[in-house]
Amino acid sequence: MSEPIIGLLVGIGILFAIFGILWTLFFTSIFVYAALFSTKNIEKMGEEVAQREAQTLQKFGKDPLSNIRKEYRKDGQNSGLVYANVVYGPSYWHLMIAWFGNVVGGQINILHKVVSTGRALATQRLREQAELAGWDEVLNVRIDTAVMTPITSPNGVKAVEVFAYGTGVKYKGSGNE
Amino acid sequence: MQHMVEGVIVVNTETIAGKVITKNLGVVGGSTVRAKHLGRDIFAGLKNVVGGELTAYTELLDESRNQAIARMIADATARGANAVVNVRFATSAVTAGASELFAYGTAVVVE
Repeated sequence: MSEPIIGLLVGIGILFAIFGILWTLFFTSIFVYAALFSTKNIEKMGEEVAQREAQTLQKFGKDPLSNIRKEYRKDGQNSGLVYANVVYGPSYWHLMIAWFGNVVGGQINILHKVVSTGRALATQRLREQAELAGWDEVLNVRIDTAVMTPITSPNGVKAVEVFAYGTGVKYKGSGNE
Repeated sequence: MQHMVEGVIVVNTETIAGKVITKNLGVVGGSTVRAKHLGRDIFAGLKNVVGGELTAYTELLDESRNQAIARMIADATARGANAVVNVRFATSAVTAGASELFAYGTAVVVE
């Protein structure tokens, strides 16, 4: 083999090696970041959602969401669909803890916390959408949870989508015009 | 996240406040499969290591759902309906990074 070709091959090999080392370092550092901060971040998000929820409840005077299926009042004037979604996932650190929890069995607290935070965020967004559109109340609220990655191809993102929807209703003479 | 499209009322209750259903035109539906480009997918994969909301996919599913609803409404207006009641949604992950969104409901004429 002539020298330039060998040189080229060695060059490509070195590039791959550098890329591999950098990638390993990068991945390790974000994994360490996740181990240190991801639980705290999720708790912070939970607190923020609770705060926003309290504000909205104060504005409406009650929880605007309910899953009564029909209009129970006769003075409905206007209605329309409201919906909100969020894709929320655990960190790799949480997945590792969950794996250990899986071996022992029982409730996996950390995943429960992640998914319920995601759901709280989606329902809060639904309340905010309802407020933005000027509805007085949201009836027939449904909350769907769907996995983002199918079980048949497990290499995708590890996250769930929470989708909340309902029918916004505006009542006559509600002063919320 | 729009709420009303071209005067067609869309609700997921069986009746509409202040309106009377006069004609039933059958089930209408709309569906779509969309994906983000590879760059967003890689970024979302990295975000997934840290955990929390994956904004790229939240947007993706929101856009897809809007499109599915728009198609459902187009189907309903083609049948001469002016409202869609009892709307339901179904989501299924086709492959990693792409989901099928399906919206369906009953097209009706209201007065």
